[in-house]
Amino acid sequence: MKRLRLHLVVLLVSALILGACQGAIKPAETQAPAPEETTLVVWDQFYRDVESQVMDTLNKEFEAAHPGVKIERVVKTLDDLKVTLKLALTEANGPDVAQVNQGRSDMGAMVEAGLLLPLDSYLAKYNWSSAFSTSVASRNSFTADGKTFGQGNLYGVSPTAEVVGVYYNKTMFKKHGWDVPKTFEEFEALLAKIKESGETPISFGSLDGWNAIHEFSAIQHLLVSLDYINNLTYGVNNVSFNTEENLQAAQILQNWAKAGYFSEGYAGIGYDDSNALFKAGSGAMTITGSWLAGELVNDTDQQFGFFLLPPFEGKTALAIGGVGIPFAIRNTTTKADLAAEYLNWMISPRAAELWAKAGMLPAIALPEGADVDTNNLFGDTLKAWDTINKGNAVGHYIDWATPTFYDTLVAELQKLLGSISTPADFVAAVQKDYAAYLNK
Amino acid sequence: MRSNQAYPGENKWKGWLYLLPGLLIYLVFTFYPILETIRTSFYQWDGFSARRVWVGLENYRVVFSDGQFVSAFVHNLVFIVFFCVLPVLIGLFLASLLSRKKMPGMTFFRTVLFLPQVISMVVVGVIWRWIFNPQFGPLNVLLTAVGLSSLTRPWLGDFALALPAVGSIGTWVQYGFCMILFLAGMQHIPEEYYEASSLDGANAFQQFTHITIPGLRAEIGVALVTTIIAALRVFDLVYVTTRGGPGNATLVVGFLIYRSAFQQNRIGYASAIATILMVIILVISLLIRRLQSGSAEQTA
Repeated sequence: MKRLRLHLVVLLVSALILGACQGAIKPAETQAPAPEETTLVVWDQFYRDVESQVMDTLNKEFEAAHPGVKIERVVKTLDDLKVTLKLALTEANGPDVAQVNQGRSDMGAMVEAGLLLPLDSYLAKYNWSSAFSTSVASRNSFTADGKTFGQGNLYGVSPTAEVVGVYYNKTMFKKHGWDVPKTFEEFEALLAKIKESGETPISFGSLDGWNAIHEFSAIQHLLVSLDYINNLTYGVNNVSFNTEENLQAAQILQNWAKAGYFSEGYAGIGYDDSNALFKAGSGAMTITGSWLAGELVNDTDQQFGFFLLPPFEGKTALAIGGVGIPFAIRNTTTKADLAAEYLNWMISPRAAELWAKAGMLPAIALPEGADVDTNNLFGDTLKAWDTINKGNAVGHYIDWATPTFYDTLVAELQKLLGSISTPADFVAAVQKDYAAYLNK
Repeated sequence: MRSNQAYPGENKWKGWLYLLPGLLIYLVFTFYPILETIRTSFYQWDGFSARRVWVGLENYRVVFSDGQFVSAFVHNLVFIVFFCVLPVLIGLFLASLLSRKKMPGMTFFRTVLFLPQVISMVVVGVIWRWIFNPQFGPLNVLLTAVGLSSLTRPWLGDFALALPAVGSIGTWVQYGFCMILFLAGMQHIPEEYYEASSLDGANAFQQFTHITIPGLRAEIGVALVTTIIAALRVFDLVYVTTRGGPGNATLVVGFLIYRSAFQQNRIGYASAIATILMVIILVISLLIRRLQSGSAEQTA
């Protein structure tokens, strides 16, 4: 008797669960958009105040130019977007257009799972290759099996650009009579001079980990060739991380830490806190990306400028840079043409002008006579991006190289900075991760 | 027979009906995900694509051979000292202070001391990240102010001290819970025991070890189980404060699961770790309960 009752309960429970599931599925099936009214669902991560307004403006103008089209915008932070997007793209009612983070663990994995639409026919139709270079396009490209990064089909177009360089406190530089260095040798001499004056040469905090990759890789980019950094990032031609150049970059970074060029207690300071200190006038320089420029304009009595980490005497230098998170199209969408039209609008001259006005680097050239003030910090970052974009010197975020590279680099760089490991240990440990990936 | 099992006028199956809502929620949101996790641990899967490959025990082999799990688990064991041993000791101490003598303002102290337990772990993490900040955090400022500037450290970034630093946050969170638990338990210990023992010449410490501790056996058992589980499954605190750094100095199993599953798309591998952690927690909980009921029978 007892057993029978238990069975009854289990049956009842299962019936309830099944019922609940069916109830959830049914309304979705009957929901079809009216033929004239088309809704394009767009997921983006421009959640910060100013950039969100740019998106709203662009969407409104797109709707005005396409009668009957409605944009349904969903805004998420990048972290939220990364976690939820993969499953959303497997849904028949998922977003038609979404921002997909570059690199293997996001775009690569989604291409492998067949979730993204190849954009090559639209590339030809809209002549996108005149808007951005092959080097930029390859960052959003994968082979159809998702295995090879940097070649094959185009899967996304990026509205914005990024470059990693040196922000400097103009107010402090003027007070002490320091000049913007022209070579890396001058840069290191300046670090020593700033240290002597009692100021902190480089505002930095490694508690969050990821920005330590930029500190190291910014130096690395002065030493390696574009071919090398392409090969390393895209995992082709079997290059090694254990090289003279990487060893030298690691040595320089460790020397800076030992010489006390970073903020006091940098190991216990987070990225945002370190920037807040820099903005408040502590630290002469900080090495990070152009995305910070907007933050350094208001609510501070200090003046800031930006320059690229200068090259070694007689060498040409690359800089970490790239294009922002691209817009991609869901493979199973029924509105591919409209979605492509939307992507094209996101990289139009009008969009470039709006992004520039908001203090963000547009991925494509600013149109002639655009109403944008460039005699300021934003102008400095724009100049830096132009320099590397036109000089074919746009490097990479090296943490794209393998799915575990980010975690490995963060852990190994913290050890290197804390002198727990030597530069030789560092390159060997990172190479171990890289080789394990290549051999898979 | 029937009248022995049920109250007159009530059908036995009605009992199941009352259980149903809770049972349903448990089955759907706890039991089913656990089974799914165990199943996933035998596959290689990135979490969203249709390609899910059966690999048998391969994930478990990797977990035990790549060294990550073992080193993370050692950090969890260290956390048992900070999440369990210290809070239980501090809780016992504070509870006996607060229960023996009636003082004005006792409710206030009880509430204030319990407060850390009420705050969400993420908020706790953010607060302590600020306290530990080497440049403007109150801890280093305080040390400098009293002339101990030689002791100032980048606490959360120091390879030797990051783990104890994060652990001590756990102590701060957990001791209030232990204290309230013990205070409640102490109310059940008859006052006469203490009176009789003091007539026999027992001092406060002897009373504590011979009356209070045995009287709190059940509560101590509950405190041990919950705090040890908290030490083994900690994730949020590490995520907010150090993200496993510096190096891997504060990497714990919970964070390793998150990192493998959601940053590296290794759902099968992460599920294997989660399954192992679940088994360990289950065994430890059963062991403590067994020890507790065993010794309870002895004293009875």
